[in-house]
Amino acid sequence: MTEAFYILCIVVVTALAFDFTNGFHDTANAMATSVATGALKPKVAVALSAILNLVGAFLSIEVALTVSNKIISIQGSNGAPVPGLMGVPMLVIILAGLVGGILWNLVTWLFGLPSSSSHALFGGLIGATIAALGVGGVKWDGVISSIVLPAVFAPVVAGLVAGLGTWIVFKIVTNVPQQRRDAGFRWGQVGSASLVSLAHGTNDAQKTMGVITLALVAYGSWSNLHGIPVWVKIACALTIAAGTWVGGWRVIRTMGKGLVEISSPQGMAAETSSAVIILSSSHLGMALSTTQVASGSILGSGVGRRVPVRWGVFGRMVVAWLLTLPAAGIVGAMCWFVANGIGGALGVTVIFGVLVVGAAYMLRRSRRTPITPENVNAEWDGGLVPAEEREPARTAN
Amino acid sequence: MEILIKAMDALWQVLLVGLLLGVGLPALFALGVRILNSDRQLISVGPAGEEITKPSAAAITGAAVCFGLCVLAVVFGIVVIVFGKQLFGV
Repeated sequence: MTEAFYILCIVVVTALAFDFTNGFHDTANAMATSVATGALKPKVAVALSAILNLVGAFLSIEVALTVSNKIISIQGSNGAPVPGLMGVPMLVIILAGLVGGILWNLVTWLFGLPSSSSHALFGGLIGATIAALGVGGVKWDGVISSIVLPAVFAPVVAGLVAGLGTWIVFKIVTNVPQQRRDAGFRWGQVGSASLVSLAHGTNDAQKTMGVITLALVAYGSWSNLHGIPVWVKIACALTIAAGTWVGGWRVIRTMGKGLVEISSPQGMAAETSSAVIILSSSHLGMALSTTQVASGSILGSGVGRRVPVRWGVFGRMVVAWLLTLPAAGIVGAMCWFVANGIGGALGVTVIFGVLVVGAAYMLRRSRRTPITPENVNAEWDGGLVPAEEREPARTAN
Repeated sequence: MEILIKAMDALWQVLLVGLLLGVGLPALFALGVRILNSDRQLISVGPAGEEITKPSAAAITGAAVCFGLCVLAVVFGIVVIVFGKQLFGV
């Protein structure tokens, strides 16, 4: 086995690991509202979302290999790696970026904070690119237009639409008995949440497919810039579905219970707003982050129904959004320096080891205060961890 | 500055579609729920004296139109998800 092939294998495994975190980190975007109102039982919700993500991943009939084109200059305009980076240099940049993205996804998941998986990936890649090529390797215009501005607008637009939608819905159904009302709206919730899941599978699985294909092109075993190998498609689709199915219960809890109390009509209005904005924005020239749209919608729906919003929780989310790019970037850059400093297969193995140790540590931390399908809907009492599980007596770990 | 203008151009379109469909569809669905529960007819009285009612034929028809339009919107959403790039070219 050559050194380059070994590195390629590590990159593919790491990319799939990112795809997995992408799945469970984003389950909440589609399903938090349905889980919170009881429209779907928690395990049914994640299973449905997983299936739709799987279907969505296969539905993506056009593949964008130009994953990173807008923000960093490691690819030419046709999607191929720039000549000077062919082979191992490109693979190391991709790997360092992925490690940054995964570790940030896990940190935010541990704290139950919804943050954009795409921004984490791009942050990691930007950091690794700066480390490898200098600041000139980053297209700052692209960073502003496809990451910074959308992040500012997403919660505002989504919140406005969801708030107005919720307000009108409650005006219309004001005289309908609550039981009949909620029974009707639960169907609407399931429908709108399903659309969000499908759209997620189509968009996000495609990003990992693009990253893996880019690595294969850099390695030299794939040259078709307009298609991806079938095994890559199947692997990415299955991985994102598996991640979704595991369910990021911590994030689901924050979005479903932490921001505002959600009723069925409100959940339906919020999720419809999310679906419409995600679909329209990705086809009107400014793709908004699914996570930020969903969070903004839920928040707006609370304002529209005039129920108390926990602004502190939202504040923590905003801080996480602001930190995503620099934090993932710093990890990505450090990983690149380490891998490049040690060099070769050993360097790559070391940063892969860092990833495994970091992931294992955070998984262990999460076990101390587990959020499960059973306690995901527990009363929100000042924090992610339900009150009855907060006793310091739990010393088993 | 140019970036900002371009972003604003995309933004108002997203906002427009959002307001039209993101507010319109929940409102339409709510209208369906309201119609379905507006004109209920008494069928019988249960053992505990509770009224057992069902929606009138007119109510069912009206609600079906509302829900049908919502289902159409979902189908349109799926078409956008699958063929969006060909349709809109972005």
